Amino acid sequence: MTDTATRPEHGPSAGDPLEVAFAVNGTAVRAAVDVRESLLDVLRERLALTGAKKGCDHGQCGTCTVLVDGRRVLACLTLAVQARGRAVTTVEGLAAPDGTPHPLQQAFIDHDALQCGYCTPGQIMSALACVAEGHAGDDEEIREYLSGNLCRCGAYPGIVAAVRDYADSARSTEG
Amino acid sequence: MSAPTGRGSDARSGPGGAPVPRIDAYEKVTGATRYAADRTPPGLAHAALAVATVGRGRVARVETAAARAVAGVLLVVTRFEEHELRPAGYRLSGGYGFQSLQPLLDDRIAYRGQPIALVVAETPVAAAEAAALVEARYEAAPAVAVTLDAAGAETVGQAAALPQPMFADLAMGDADAAFARSPVRLDAEYDIGAQHQVPMELLGTVVEWRGDDLVVHECTQNSGAVRHGLARQLGIAPARVRVVSPQVGGGFGQKTWLQSHVGPLAVAARRLGRPVKLVVDRTQTFHGSTFRPASRHRLRLGADRSGLLTALVHETRQQTSRHDLFASDFTSVTARLYGIGDFRGHQRLTRTDVQTPGFMRAPFEHAAVFALESAVDEIACATGHDPVALRLANDTGSDPVTGRPFSSRHLAACLRRGAELFGWAARTPRPGSMRAADGTLVGWGVAAGAYRASAGPAVARLRLAADGRIAVEVSGHEMGQGLRTAIARTVALDLGISAGGVRVGVGDTGEVPQHLTAGSWGTATALPAVHAALRRLRSCLGAPDEGPLDTVAAAAERAAAGRPEAVVEAVSLPPGQSARAVDRLRAGLPTPAGPEYPGFSAFSFIAHFVEVRVEPAIGRVRVPRVVSVVDCGRVASPVTAAGQIRGGVVWGIGAALRERGEPEPRHGGFHHADLAEYLVPVNADVGRVDVDFVDVPDPLVNPLGVKGCGEVALVGVAPAIANAIHHATGRRHRALPIRVEDVLAPEDDRNGNCP
Amino acid sequence: MRPFSYRAPATLAEAVAALADGGPGARPLAGGTSLYDLMKLGVEAPSAVVDIGRLPELAGFDTAGPEELVFGAGASMADVAEDAVLRADYPALAESLAKAASPQVRNMATVGGNLLQRTRCGYFRGGPAFDCAKRRPGSGCAARGGLDRGHAVLGTSDACTAAYPGDWAVALLAFDARLDLYGPRGARTIALADLHRGPADAPHEEHTLGAGELVVRIRVPTAPAGRGSVYHKVRDRESFAFALASAAVALTLDERGRVAHCRVALGGVATRPWRAEAAERAVVGGPLTEEAAVRAGEAAFADARPGAHNAFKVRLGARVVARALRTAAERAAGRAVA
Repeated sequence: MTDTATRPEHGPSAGDPLEVAFAVNGTAVRAAVDVRESLLDVLRERLALTGAKKGCDHGQCGTCTVLVDGRRVLACLTLAVQARGRAVTTVEGLAAPDGTPHPLQQAFIDHDALQCGYCTPGQIMSALACVAEGHAGDDEEIREYLSGNLCRCGAYPGIVAAVRDYADSARSTEG
Repeated sequence: MSAPTGRGSDARSGPGGAPVPRIDAYEKVTGATRYAADRTPPGLAHAALAVATVGRGRVARVETAAARAVAGVLLVVTRFEEHELRPAGYRLSGGYGFQSLQPLLDDRIAYRGQPIALVVAETPVAAAEAAALVEARYEAAPAVAVTLDAAGAETVGQAAALPQPMFADLAMGDADAAFARSPVRLDAEYDIGAQHQVPMELLGTVVEWRGDDLVVHECTQNSGAVRHGLARQLGIAPARVRVVSPQVGGGFGQKTWLQSHVGPLAVAARRLGRPVKLVVDRTQTFHGSTFRPASRHRLRLGADRSGLLTALVHETRQQTSRHDLFASDFTSVTARLYGIGDFRGHQRLTRTDVQTPGFMRAPFEHAAVFALESAVDEIACATGHDPVALRLANDTGSDPVTGRPFSSRHLAACLRRGAELFGWAARTPRPGSMRAADGTLVGWGVAAGAYRASAGPAVARLRLAADGRIAVEVSGHEMGQGLRTAIARTVALDLGISAGGVRVGVGDTGEVPQHLTAGSWGTATALPAVHAALRRLRSCLGAPDEGPLDTVAAAAERAAAGRPEAVVEAVSLPPGQSARAVDRLRAGLPTPAGPEYPGFSAFSFIAHFVEVRVEPAIGRVRVPRVVSVVDCGRVASPVTAAGQIRGGVVWGIGAALRERGEPEPRHGGFHHADLAEYLVPVNADVGRVDVDFVDVPDPLVNPLGVKGCGEVALVGVAPAIANAIHHATGRRHRALPIRVEDVLAPEDDRNGNCP
Repeated sequence: MRPFSYRAPATLAEAVAALADGGPGARPLAGGTSLYDLMKLGVEAPSAVVDIGRLPELAGFDTAGPEELVFGAGASMADVAEDAVLRADYPALAESLAKAASPQVRNMATVGGNLLQRTRCGYFRGGPAFDCAKRRPGSGCAARGGLDRGHAVLGTSDACTAAYPGDWAVALLAFDARLDLYGPRGARTIALADLHRGPADAPHEEHTLGAGELVVRIRVPTAPAGRGSVYHKVRDRESFAFALASAAVALTLDERGRVAHCRVALGGVATRPWRAEAAERAVVGGPLTEEAAVRAGEAAFADARPGAHNAFKVRLGARVVARALRTAAERAAGRAVA
């Protein structure tokens, strides 16, 4: 049985829009997309979620990093239709409803882990996953596991400090 | 020179106030900041470019039928009419463009990657599909010249080709004679490959006509030039054009002038009656804007046996385009880094088949100082002197070019403090003599740097709102360097209020005139205007000229008296400039003063200390730690300034070991035109970076004592790394970048000796 | 990018049928990190995309079996790289994955799809400005006499010198890995060593899969050489970069410290995952001294044919092999690894 939720019985012909349903930051969304469209373009151009950025569109910079079902992926190399039924988390979904930043976002502020800010949403989504994966054991490991996110401003030392700080407090909270 | 009285403050405790975090950090970490391409006005159409696949020649025919047939395509333009689009002119000829050539006006192809068609469609995928279907037939030139040594590249003397005083060759004393009689002589050539700025933000533009008025959301460091350039291109009054660039996702010089896609986009939007967005494909950005051109430097550096530098001849050759002369200025820094009395410079330009190169962080100083500071290290080796001691011995208090004093010069303090923080005293001088526990070779290197302290005119408008909050609009752009934070902190410290309560607007031509924000003059330009506006505000409120001011009470008092909000505007000028500079500012033309001012010269200074770990067997070089100490006058915003310096060090690691713009010698253009092949440093490439500031206000450049720091941060990093590699391996590297194949030991004998 | 039809079948059989339906223009899409990238460049222009990313038959992996390690082709590179058994007992396999690409790419990309990753040659990726026999059969090779610093020195032909870019297949080559395939004509199993083709005069034919045939799983016989294995990779950055030269070594030592069994495979230097049998022969039967390791490294590159800008790969590659051999021997002997 093929995935009937997303396509008619005999498959669409090339160029037809396809309806895709997934969740973004806890909210169900449904969009008719061109199958060629990336998840990144759908987030940015159709859903007005411009936090995820386009820096290369070829998986070489990490500015478009989002979480899909909790795992960090590149939205530019994800077909929007591949996200069907998935839970997507973008940087807009991290702060509390009252605007209080997520502790990792606060750590980025505290350590001035940014300059122009363009790569920052991707850095933060990547760092969140990095810590969750257990790859923030020491500075060297943080550097390695955040090397998929380029920062041309060179804010790497601050980023490492912020992630270390957040990882330490997350560990101590876990007890 | 006098000993500095710096406080040696760390980044978080600037003088006279508590640390102020980056004021726009919250918006940036929550994804709320809107960059140009984040705009999605209703009815938005999307554009894409098709580009030339040959390196030089002319387009014989462009076939667009397939592109037009793509569903959702609205417009395909291969040639604009002269009445609707004119060239914006080259910036060095009184124009506004990064180059004189405006694509899509004629059939000439000057470089591979030059746009040959603009496509507009309903969606980005449709636009990209159609652009890929545009096919051209070319009459290609038989050969292209894209490197300094290519057949067909033409070299001209810069002073003769550009007969203006600012481009003349520098000469003091008789350098050739002094070199000839120097007991220690080094004659060496240094090569610096092309580089690309590659800010993470792609070139992105959203244009929207509102009646006869054009609103442009553009990522630019120079919204004034975009405004005036577009007005010229479109034949409309500048007042009809508003350019908005409040947050730029990294500039580094790439976004300093009008890009050649913006005018065509504005015409397309007018034809369609819809707003249009273009996000330039990353590969296309390698040809769609400027780059750091390749340059070659021949240095003849003489010294006496005591290590005193006696003569310097600095001859340069820099790549430019066939259609424009991008002037170089390598020698104004090498003539001044040390007290060398006999100096001769000669600068040449080589025309090649590329888009016109331009500014990239420390545009000339990075390359020039790589050459000089590598050579100085060789002299230190040759004379048996410690590299730090030798630099201290050659320090100078006065500008060798003008004979007048530096406004402030704390290079010696930078060197001493850096040596102390780094632990330089533990260095053993012999190359190959230090090893890490894991057996890798350890090298410690040092280099100094300098960058002119420039400034220009600026306008600041301060508004005291009814609730007592302060809003300020200033000439300048925020590319991440922290200008908005420095402005907010200046206002907050002056009035004794919280920086968080200050709303800062920059980069909007609809508010105040906008200048080119580059060359590390942004802060030193904007803050004096803010300072002057604060004096006006105090006077307008009848408040004393300094001391805390209760803005809430003052606003309430005004409201009670039935008076409107207080709005004041002030214009500032750097020393020696007249009101004519303000006219240029209002016309979107560049106006920086410096480094020579009436009675003094002004530079920022820096010293970098670098440790490398080298595995010669496989050519691997790592940079586990760097210490950088900066003299940038008073530190206007300690938190963001430290970020600038760390970023400059990361740039230096990239420039020294990674980045190489790779011209394709047969096809033209740059070959490694993406972020997988053009290698900027990743997080794992960067170790510990410690930054300290001398933090002594400059007494002359402006009332706030502020010099720049963004560019000087990079100057000297690459030679410090190269010198450290020499210390580790005994091998000199005189070309950048230094890559695996360069470090790879040729045979087992890997510990060379000092020359 | 040209429009394409998109189908997301629910079973392997449906996927194979959908690929057959789609004809020669059909392409399977697993992680998408390679195919979608190349589609954006116009290098790949499928008429039909069959999404195999959620097929249950391709999911999961098992490293606990007594006879073999089994990796579903759809398992993510990240998940396999993290596997505790692999990291302890087959470090070369785990390292080859952990040193590839970035964490995000490894989360998306699959261990099956990664085997078929296409070259990074700039003339291949660069589009119509350049001749490329991979893109347009018979059109020539712009890399010859061009910018070939990253290109292969082993296994090249006049038609193509593009380097195979992957790491994982190189490591698998050191372990006699086999592939279970499924296609329109049913199931079959091939050796990994038989998957990739050298360029010869048809560089566009990069592998031996039949039309519509899919890699279903990768099987690696359990081997004592696993513990004595390493994947050593030298690149232009400390992370997130393709190999300039890499070597996978798996070996065992006999009770007297002599090399009993040895496999050496090379990446970054050859047109396909490259087995260096001459290097293996050079060390088997003797102690793995520095001299023996150096000799083996040189033997691995005895037939190298460098181009204009990649001669350094011969010297570099030989040293990478030598170092990998020494590290593998230390691991095999159970000594602490630096």
